[in-house]
Amino acid sequence: MSASILTAAPDGSPAPADATGLPVYPGRVIGLEGSTGSGLTRIGLSMLSAIPASCRVAVDVRGWLCPLAAWEVGIDPDHLTVVRCGDASQWPRVLAVLLDGVKAIYAEVPRGVGEALLRRLGAKARARNATVILRPLAGRVPSGMAFLRLRSVRVEWEGGREGHGSLGRRTLMVELSGKGAAGRYQVVEVEDDGARPVRVVSRLVTSQVGRSVG
Amino acid sequence: MGGRDGRPLVAAANDRAMEAGVEAGMTRRSAEALCPSALVLERDPAAETTRFEPILDAIEDLIPRVEVVEPGWVFAPADGAVRYYGGERALVDRMAATLERLAPGAHLGVANGPFAAYWAARSGRPTLIVKDEKAFLSGLDISALETEELVATFRWLGVTTLGELAALPRHAVASRFGTRGLEAHRLAGGEDRRVLPRRTPDDLTVETVLEEPLLLIEQVGFMARRLAGSLMALLDRHRVAPYQVEVEAEAADGVVRSRVWRSAEPFDTRALAERVWWQLRAWTETGGITDGLIRLKLSPTALSDEGYQPGLFEQREIRIETERALERTRTILGPDSVLRARPQGGRDPAERVQWARWGEDFAEPTRSLASPWPGRVPAPSPSLVPSRPRRLEVEWDAEVPTRVRLSTRWEPVLAWAGPWRRLGEWWAEEKPSALYQIVTSAGAMLCRTTDGRTFVVGVYD
Repeated sequence: MSASILTAAPDGSPAPADATGLPVYPGRVIGLEGSTGSGLTRIGLSMLSAIPASCRVAVDVRGWLCPLAAWEVGIDPDHLTVVRCGDASQWPRVLAVLLDGVKAIYAEVPRGVGEALLRRLGAKARARNATVILRPLAGRVPSGMAFLRLRSVRVEWEGGREGHGSLGRRTLMVELSGKGAAGRYQVVEVEDDGARPVRVVSRLVTSQVGRSVG
Repeated sequence: MGGRDGRPLVAAANDRAMEAGVEAGMTRRSAEALCPSALVLERDPAAETTRFEPILDAIEDLIPRVEVVEPGWVFAPADGAVRYYGGERALVDRMAATLERLAPGAHLGVANGPFAAYWAARSGRPTLIVKDEKAFLSGLDISALETEELVATFRWLGVTTLGELAALPRHAVASRFGTRGLEAHRLAGGEDRRVLPRRTPDDLTVETVLEEPLLLIEQVGFMARRLAGSLMALLDRHRVAPYQVEVEAEAADGVVRSRVWRSAEPFDTRALAERVWWQLRAWTETGGITDGLIRLKLSPTALSDEGYQPGLFEQREIRIETERALERTRTILGPDSVLRARPQGGRDPAERVQWARWGEDFAEPTRSLASPWPGRVPAPSPSLVPSRPRRLEVEWDAEVPTRVRLSTRWEPVLAWAGPWRRLGEWWAEEKPSALYQIVTSAGAMLCRTTDGRTFVVGVYD
């Protein structure tokens, strides 16, 4: 991704260089929005791998998260802890406790977690200087809370043709919005070859004119 | 005057202050109350290293390759020296005589491991040779672990000595207290830190050779910081961190000096740079290096197996906070909900992951990573694997999937790959099955067909 569509960090420091090309800053919330199968888990894990931390935690609500994908995008097995939290009533408490000591968190958000609670957890992430990547299983990250919001628009697979070969490269169209995308809607093309972190390969024409700070 | 947790504490006091009741570890306020005329000086580790250098030289005359932890605290591997001098007592007597001359009041402790040796030296006796390490450690108070919070919890549970802690089942301690508890249990049982070097390239040293010798102490300090940073960056790439580092320096006149520094926790960049700087300054100021420094080499001599390397902005406190947060999470959700994973051999995505509770050791792997595992579905792997395979309705046309039912609607299959066929463990009455990758407009899935039915076993999210 060219640097022009990304804002600098609030303190003016340049965007950290990472393989994904998506901005990941300490103390910021990132929202991933889209249905299961749209490739956002792998994007979230790639962004998690870009956070400089000795311990990364993935909060798994359904008990489905497969660490193979995390290892494929570059997270060291020694540096990943998976927290399985299927109880939606415990989820806010668990995330609050994790924010006390973990600087890099990828968390699925179960149904039924209120907007007010999410906002309080976002404030705590900012206060603790932790990067939190939220993946709601239903609904959206509350407006204004996420520094960067990613919404999956389209997925195209290569490699699978009438029984020959196997699924290989995947191309995703992702809409970015929020302060991390310079307050505008941007559509980027993200490539996932299955062996490395996903990465932005091109910036497409902005599909929607307007400002978005949410 | 040093400090802990931001509080200024007395690090050392001279005879007159000690006569007035001042002791090491006392707060500054208490010390000044006892001895109002005392002159308070800030602690200067570099100057302490310089003063400690002649003592180290004297110890190295008896035992080569000592390992310095901090000025005033040194470990010496005594196996060879014991044989050379004809026994532990002979060696200790010689060492005591040497130290009495240079550092009256110094304490010596001899044991198999550094932890026991450290407490033997702190036993209050001038020299203590520990023959039965387990028995010696079992009598020590639990505070010997020197981790305040952990010690307070152990006391609250009625565990007051290291012996009582060692008697607890290891898995129970690991389950309740995580890695810190496990480490404490190992120490209490007489097993010092396990340093299991990972497979790393042989040459992990960094070296700088200068055309002109460095004469100014500031230049030496700059080079020490730069080289320490280079070494840590090199080790970080291999995901290891050093417990021991050998500092080797060559003077312009050809004299080569070396010293090993050791740490209970892996060094971070700042800690290593400080120690290299202290050592170089000590050599420069005590005449160990004259005519300027012309070469500096840093070699890690023991590496951690944890792969942990604090980043530039991380401190050790962050690691402790992380462990505390995970322990509290485990308390809320139970031990089976906080997990670590590592790769193992297998065909299905679920088979290829070995899980362990956080803070506990992995079981012996039953599926070898080195085996070929024919029939394994190639990468990318599904990022979601349902805990139980989910039934999926698929319309087939002569073994070709054409439509799948998602919720209430039928979606056409856009692309598919496979099948990867399995005979199954027929001796265990497992039926043959086949894996398919199926792509629809809603995404891609990994499916297994068996006995005419199809199940989702992975989602490429």
